[in-house]
Amino acid sequence: MTGLIRFSFLACLVAFLGVVPTAWLAARSRRWNWLPATVLMVSLLLGISVAGVQVWSVTPLKLDLSKVTPFAFALEIDRLAAFFLFLVCGVALPVILYAWSYLPRHYSKAEAQWIWALCSLFLLSMVLVVVAATAFSFLIGWELMTLLSAALILVDGNSQERLHNLFIYLVMMHAGAAAVAASFFAFLPVSGDLYFSSLRASSLLLTPGTRTAIFLLAFVGFGTKAGIIPLHLWLPRAHPIAPTPVSALMSGLMLKTAVYGFIRFSFDFLGGGPVWAGYLVLIAGAVSGVLGVLYAIGEHDLKRLLAYHSIENIGIIYMGLGAALIFLANQSPAWAVLALVAALFHTLNHALFKSLLFLGAGAIADATHTLDIDELGGLLNRLPITGATFLVGCVSIVGLPLFNGFVSELLTFQSFLAGSTLTALPPRIILPLMAGVLALIGGLAAACFAKVYGVAFLGRPRSSAAESAREVPQGMLGGMSLLALACIVLGIFPTPVLKPLIALAQTLVPAASLPTEVTGIQRILVPTAVAVLGLALLTMVAGFKRRVTSPWACGLPGLTTRMQYTSTAFSKPIRWVFSAVYKPDRRLAVLPAGRPYFPSSISYSSVRTTSYERFLYRPMTNAVVALATQLRRLQTGNIQVYLLYIFLTLVALLAVVGLRK
Amino acid sequence: MTMLIHFLQALMIVFGAPLLRGVVSKMKARIQRRQGASIWRPYADLGKLFRKEDLVPPLASPVFRAAPRGVFCATTVAVLLIPVFRPAALLGGPGDFVLLVSLLALARFCLVLGGMDGGGAFGGMGGSREALVSALAEAPFLLGLTAVSILARSTQLARIVDWTLRQNFFDISAVHILALSTLAMVAIAETGRIPVDNPTTHLELTMIHEAMVLEHSGPSLAFLEWANSVKLGLIMSLLIGLFFPWGMAAEPSLLAIALAVAAYLVKMLALALILALVESSIAKMRMYAVPDFLGVASATGVLAVVFTVFGGR
Repeated sequence: MTGLIRFSFLACLVAFLGVVPTAWLAARSRRWNWLPATVLMVSLLLGISVAGVQVWSVTPLKLDLSKVTPFAFALEIDRLAAFFLFLVCGVALPVILYAWSYLPRHYSKAEAQWIWALCSLFLLSMVLVVVAATAFSFLIGWELMTLLSAALILVDGNSQERLHNLFIYLVMMHAGAAAVAASFFAFLPVSGDLYFSSLRASSLLLTPGTRTAIFLLAFVGFGTKAGIIPLHLWLPRAHPIAPTPVSALMSGLMLKTAVYGFIRFSFDFLGGGPVWAGYLVLIAGAVSGVLGVLYAIGEHDLKRLLAYHSIENIGIIYMGLGAALIFLANQSPAWAVLALVAALFHTLNHALFKSLLFLGAGAIADATHTLDIDELGGLLNRLPITGATFLVGCVSIVGLPLFNGFVSELLTFQSFLAGSTLTALPPRIILPLMAGVLALIGGLAAACFAKVYGVAFLGRPRSSAAESAREVPQGMLGGMSLLALACIVLGIFPTPVLKPLIALAQTLVPAASLPTEVTGIQRILVPTAVAVLGLALLTMVAGFKRRVTSPWACGLPGLTTRMQYTSTAFSKPIRWVFSAVYKPDRRLAVLPAGRPYFPSSISYSSVRTTSYERFLYRPMTNAVVALATQLRRLQTGNIQVYLLYIFLTLVALLAVVGLRK
Repeated sequence: MTMLIHFLQALMIVFGAPLLRGVVSKMKARIQRRQGASIWRPYADLGKLFRKEDLVPPLASPVFRAAPRGVFCATTVAVLLIPVFRPAALLGGPGDFVLLVSLLALARFCLVLGGMDGGGAFGGMGGSREALVSALAEAPFLLGLTAVSILARSTQLARIVDWTLRQNFFDISAVHILALSTLAMVAIAETGRIPVDNPTTHLELTMIHEAMVLEHSGPSLAFLEWANSVKLGLIMSLLIGLFFPWGMAAEPSLLAIALAVAAYLVKMLALALILALVESSIAKMRMYAVPDFLGVASATGVLAVVFTVFGGR
């Protein structure tokens, strides 16, 4: 049995690589058009089945390739890795199905060839990250993930603005990768090598100072990838400019590898931490959650709005992780399991509904050639299936009952409420208050998605593009429908996923009993679903008559599309209440200045000025540039000086070696 | 037997809700020295609307007719979670108060979408305002419920009510007072009563709920109006259950149930009178004062949760 699993895993890895030549083939000959997507889907299916077996297995699957690589290169699928492998392969499958019919519509053969090849390698790099068992293999996957996603963004064009955004993305990713690498290397003096098993074993021997350093470096490193505020700067710039399926993969999956890495470090290697570490993660999550959703409300570019919602959801995940760390530090492992299960389940849910929404955004752009929701309207009548699946995505992300987002948010709520059972005073106050924060995030997210759906899909079309929109082809619909179906099923029957998650959380948090809150959740979801659906059926069966007629237009000849609320108008009250967050810079110019009552033109503009660039990043980059300018003095260009440097280095090294003896 | 009682208590809220609305308007009318309409008037209105047909704008999508039904379903299912005559309900489990809040949020989400599908200005206007009020009301709603749930050491509504029932009325703690004031303010915002929203106005400057339902007619409007009454009954019953459960039947004997029904009706009447008095004596707030009102509710909610650490027995 293990032999079979090992073989299928190897086959899965090879098939990912195999997509590259098939993509080349497909670009040459029309007969092989179907090949890259098929091979990629086969490898994803193999990955799903391996993960499905391993998530139940007590013994991890090991694969050591150190003989063929210069550094220790080993892969291992334990329960945590298996869950994330399942997540990556499972969510990528419908995205690839979507891409299959999306790419030929939007890209030339050569471009599609590049996207297929890069996309497959990008997925392979994510698989590598989650199954790595040495720092070397992890960092290789981590670096490839950044570079390949950047390459995929470049396929879509290389205008000056895109290059600027891409540069910010790459710089921040490498700063984060440096922090991750440093947190690995901090283990070295004690652990001897960088196998994950040695890191785990050595963590108890570390000094508290080193543990703190490792934790903080991992928090910053993975937090950059996850898009925790204020490390989120790259996220709303990089995600929207990628090709749509890649946006879905970046937002749905790539962010999750950061969550994986953080869990691997803080729970697996370090086995929890001091209480303040839990508070740090919890507060960072809460800030990201609230600010993420507030920034999203201010947006009317659909993809950028969704990118900000990724920040919000990562915030919710981090709140769960923070609560788990706090429970661990307060010696209540059962509740830590609950919080961890909540965070992991929300990770899966976010991967599902965020990919769905990004694919939906792509379908809208495909049908109308715009992503500005103020240009849309009335799309549900023209894109019925896209509209229905997008609605499922909206309701799920908001966390409304009978959809998957609700289940994980309910579990997160319960872990916060469980904070009141602790003996220490601070968590008894702070954790229950976080329930309020989560409710605020939920309320604001509901406002935001009511805006998105109401403006884009309902009402009257606001432009001729929206009026002449046509439903997208079946492959795209299939991908979205699969994801929407998963959102609904997990929202009513979460137990098949919760069970392995509990087993997984119990391996990360030893000696934990099973909290009934997790196991009993389906017992209240199913009757609720039955009641809602039964009642809905009754109201439908009642069969009331309907008549189509124009609504009263206050005496005007008829309603026009300009009379509808736009997304900007819809979000105005919320932006007004939270104006301290947006710090709007409003400019009103009335021309000519001398005649206030009879102006010839009035112009008004309002921009958000909460600028992390100005207050956080600008000083930092200035400092780096200043340091670099100073360092440049070393580079005189004079060969004698360089010889002097070599000599001094040699002396210093000899001195160090001599002193050590 | 117990299942039947739990089913009946839900049915009573659903079918008695229009009567509650009629009673409140009658009380308001008498306080304002008017004769007022009959207390059975809302039933007549619903009957009339159900007999008519749905008028649908030409460009509206299926959401336009589905949304009112969704609002009704979600609100009605939420009623199944509320303990009324006994400290138990048809549906329930750990964390069911979060489900309650979320079901009401689901109803609201449908309501906003239904309003925006009309294609006019008012739907978006009402939706935008409702989105603001509900976004700000959700946090205090959950904080207030959290505070009482911490005191009762349970996250299940029925158990919380059961715990309160076994306490002495005069042992009530500061947490209860704070949570009650939080939830009372939230209740006003959630049910759209004065001073947050005026259920009888059609003035563009202030209307919230009425703006959203403006384009709906016939059975759709009936579902919306009915759901709105049910929501009022639901939230008032929730307040009674959480803060004044005394009189509820601890064991399912016929006499105890009869007493519980009588006690519930008296408490409901008293609450309706308070609502009528408040609505007749306070002016509606400006739209932009509502965030302050809900800010106060959030602050008392936070205090209630903080005080559980010190004051919770």
